[in-house]
Amino acid sequence: MRYDPAVPIRRTPLLVVAAALVAAAGSGLLTRAPAPGPNPQVGVPDDRRDPRTRYRRSLPPQAMRMFERYLPRPVHPDEVLREFYFTRLIYGGQRYMGGASWSVDFPKADRQFMIGLKRLLDQLDAYDYDNALLATDPKLYRYPFLYSVEVGYMMLSPDEREHLRRYLLAGGFWVIDDFWGSWQWANLENELSALLPEYPIVEIPLDHPIFHCFYDVEEILQVPNVGQGRYGGPTWEQDGFTPHVRGIFDDHGRLMVVINWNTDLGDAWEWAEDEWYPVRFSHYAYQMGVNFVVYAMSH
Amino acid sequence: MAGLFEFLFKYRPSLFEEGRLALAAPGWMQVAALVAGGALVFAAFTYRRMRPGSGSRPERYRWLPPTLRSLAIGVLVVCLLQPALVLSTVVPQESFVGVLIDDSGSMAMPDEEAAEDGTRAGAVREALSGQPGSLLELLTGRFQVRQLAFGRGAERIESVDQLRFARPDSRIGEALLAASDELAGLPLAGLVVFSDGADSEPAELGDALLALKAAGTPVHAVGVGRPRLARDIEVSRVVAPRRVLEGSTVEVEVTLSQTGFGGRSVNLEVEDDGRIVNVEPVTFPRRSSAVTARVMFAATDEGAREFRFRVAAQPGEQLTRNNERTALVEVRKRREKIFFFEGEPRDESKFLRRAVQFDENLHVVSMTRQAANKFYGINFDENTKRFDGFPTRREDLFEYQGVILGSMEASFFTHDQMRMLVDFAAQRGGGVLLLGARRSFSEGGFLGTPIAELSPLVLYEIEPASGDGRPPLIHDLQLELTPQGRAHPAMLLRDDRSESNELWPTLPRLSAYQRATELKAGATALLLAETPMHREPLVALAYHRIGRGRAIAFTPHDSWHWQMSAEIALEDQTHERLWRQMLRWLVSYVPDRIEVETDRDRFEPGSTVALRATVRDAAFREVNRAQVTAAIELPSGEEVEVPLDWSVERDGEFVGSFVAAERGHYRVEVDARSEGELLGVAASRFAVDNLNEELFGAARRDSVLQRIARETGGRRYGLDEMDSLVEDLSVSREGTTVREARDLWDMPILFLLLVVFLGGEWAVRRRLGMS
Repeated sequence: MRYDPAVPIRRTPLLVVAAALVAAAGSGLLTRAPAPGPNPQVGVPDDRRDPRTRYRRSLPPQAMRMFERYLPRPVHPDEVLREFYFTRLIYGGQRYMGGASWSVDFPKADRQFMIGLKRLLDQLDAYDYDNALLATDPKLYRYPFLYSVEVGYMMLSPDEREHLRRYLLAGGFWVIDDFWGSWQWANLENELSALLPEYPIVEIPLDHPIFHCFYDVEEILQVPNVGQGRYGGPTWEQDGFTPHVRGIFDDHGRLMVVINWNTDLGDAWEWAEDEWYPVRFSHYAYQMGVNFVVYAMSH
Repeated sequence: MAGLFEFLFKYRPSLFEEGRLALAAPGWMQVAALVAGGALVFAAFTYRRMRPGSGSRPERYRWLPPTLRSLAIGVLVVCLLQPALVLSTVVPQESFVGVLIDDSGSMAMPDEEAAEDGTRAGAVREALSGQPGSLLELLTGRFQVRQLAFGRGAERIESVDQLRFARPDSRIGEALLAASDELAGLPLAGLVVFSDGADSEPAELGDALLALKAAGTPVHAVGVGRPRLARDIEVSRVVAPRRVLEGSTVEVEVTLSQTGFGGRSVNLEVEDDGRIVNVEPVTFPRRSSAVTARVMFAATDEGAREFRFRVAAQPGEQLTRNNERTALVEVRKRREKIFFFEGEPRDESKFLRRAVQFDENLHVVSMTRQAANKFYGINFDENTKRFDGFPTRREDLFEYQGVILGSMEASFFTHDQMRMLVDFAAQRGGGVLLLGARRSFSEGGFLGTPIAELSPLVLYEIEPASGDGRPPLIHDLQLELTPQGRAHPAMLLRDDRSESNELWPTLPRLSAYQRATELKAGATALLLAETPMHREPLVALAYHRIGRGRAIAFTPHDSWHWQMSAEIALEDQTHERLWRQMLRWLVSYVPDRIEVETDRDRFEPGSTVALRATVRDAAFREVNRAQVTAAIELPSGEEVEVPLDWSVERDGEFVGSFVAAERGHYRVEVDARSEGELLGVAASRFAVDNLNEELFGAARRDSVLQRIARETGGRRYGLDEMDSLVEDLSVSREGTTVREARDLWDMPILFLLLVVFLGGEWAVRRRLGMS
């Protein structure tokens, strides 16, 4: 099934949306909205521009969660030019839980990761928000860092494959995350073998610079999804009992793709502020995420 | 003119120069001359009282007739005093004349109309054949003649039949000294040199002329050949770097001269070991004899390479052996170290490193600030000293040949660190590349700091930060090469230069934080950037020299789009090529701690090769107290050691010399030690071969012939002036001579003057009505 931009990224009951809007209105959200203008956010410090920061205390957590999925970016990526954008790949594929699988945890995970990233890499000139792009969008080549989730449902068209292949071989860096078990692996393997047939997928050893370029990561942890993490359940899903960090290297030994299998770094970023989500998973996920960015921007 | 003089004064000017004037009349005749003078004065006085005749003429002309008559009488008096020219003339067969004949290949040139066969050699053979009327016959009538043939050195010959006119070079200075030695102790009237003026060792000529002048031996030069060839093309000069990195684009300046080919186009071929590596079309200007072409080609093979620069022989060309020159270039396979200091993670720095990652000759060590005081160093190896941040010791920084400075604000550096970076370029001779970014140049607060000295761009005051404190970004930069950029090897993105020049404006547009439009005095811009956001074009790439090194500024901050952009084909190597060439340029000609050089790259066999080594310590301070030895590997494989001594003239300079007899490639390796500790080694190469220098500028060189004659008291002659040559030799003050007085009273000039004065007086009288 192909991705249709007209289809909402996740179908949410209207009732929940309405409740979120009422709660927002009740807390004065609408009256405190920024004044309209060509670029009303220019000149406002990044942390104050982030609506989640501004309205966090105004919304109950459930409403906030729903609300953030639809909150538009106050500043479009085209309006600013930064050194780093956390770019999420919009790919074609099957529906997942009623929505498109590429958008799982979007945009909160992306934005929340950026908050941590900017704090930890304080010299990085990074865009504060999410930046999702189609594989066929020519603008994709302006963003050499790419992130994808739920690739067990990914089904790339020939056109998408051609663009992604060119993107990676030209110097792009792709981080794949949050997919579990053998059948999802089989799907990704199938897609990657069509995308980069001449390059094998290999296990990245722990002494590789990607585990040491900023933080020294000595162990691969399995990061559970938010539900299992909060309630102390098992960390695995399906038959994905062991986490792996695999990769695809080009002819010159340069890493093009990092695959985080049987683990969900995205949820750990997204729920890092949740007091019930174990901090060691968030800690690890941020370390890995920061290392990915440092590696991508230096190798 | 000389002929007219000889007609009027009976003898050639040279005889007047050689001799002195005297009066042969007895003493009483001179008293009589005085009396006659008194009578003349009296006669003039009587004219004062004479009145003009009828039909009166102005009073003021009445002095003319007596004056003219007095002058006529004066001429007669001079004749009566019997003036004479006293000369020293050689005693027949008692003086010697040395005749030196250029026996080199250039004498075979067919440009001498005086000869039957039209060659220079033919003209010499005819002059010295001994046939009646020939120079040799005239000379042997009065002198003992010794003939010597010269090329390198001079040998006695008995006749011109022994001449071959095929020697590889001609060293006039050496030949003159050899002839002087050969004829030492003999009464020598002078030397006669038959030559086209081509001299392979001009440096020796001055010393030889000085020695001959001191000995009082006049050298008369007989020029053969035409002062200008009718049709010839010559590779006059080749300026090539002595050392390049393997795989680099070599830029060589080749000067071509021509006569008779103005307006014509020729192909200049570059050959590396039999393989044509480039063909550059060159068009000769119509109104100028020389044109300089810049040739670029890749040096792909390691070792001492002889690159030949050649123009194919053209129809009707008189001399084709001067259509080729060779340059010896040492293509080095070594890794030049570059320190890349970056203040923030940037895609520009990632892609820059990626572009040169597999260049075997570049080792880019990078240090990137990821967070405050948290640096990430890449590519340090066992040969590279590890440090965090920016070096604080000169030794650590000066280990590198180049430094790239990225987006790092001025406040990060201490004053000493900035000063050290300036010294890195100025004293160590390294290359510094300043990259455009949001924290570099003016935007990084470098105005007024030592780094501002490094920048080839004039830094400017920046407006107070507005909004989020970021400098405004200038978009849509379309880069265009300046005329200097079009000729620069680092800007050559394709092998074909015109294709490369056309490519630049079509590349994806970039952006920059820097809006510099002004260059410092002496800086050169290679790339300008047009943008709709700025009225004037911005400077995108510029460089200038700083002391012994150079600084380059590249202001766009996102050239990596040329690698990633959807408009660029995946296999396109534009980005990689640009940065490989830029970084090779950055570290080209950067001196090492120990260096050794010869003054030229090619020598004639038997030449003395001067070796000069420079010795510095790790902080690049010159060392005078060192033991420096040069080990010279001869072409035969034998090794010779030459100790080098401190020159005293310059700190750290050690000199020595060596005579290179064998033909082939020589390798010099210098080993410098101080108190037993090895400071370092350096190597250089040179070649010894027949250079055929005399074939370049092969037309008759009158300036050389003129100089030989002028500095020794001799004269220069053409082939049609042999009689004069013999006469001048005969009146030489050298050799066995006697005094001879030659009458001058019958000089035609005196008779002419007499006629003019008397005729003039008569005409004036008639005019004034006095007769």
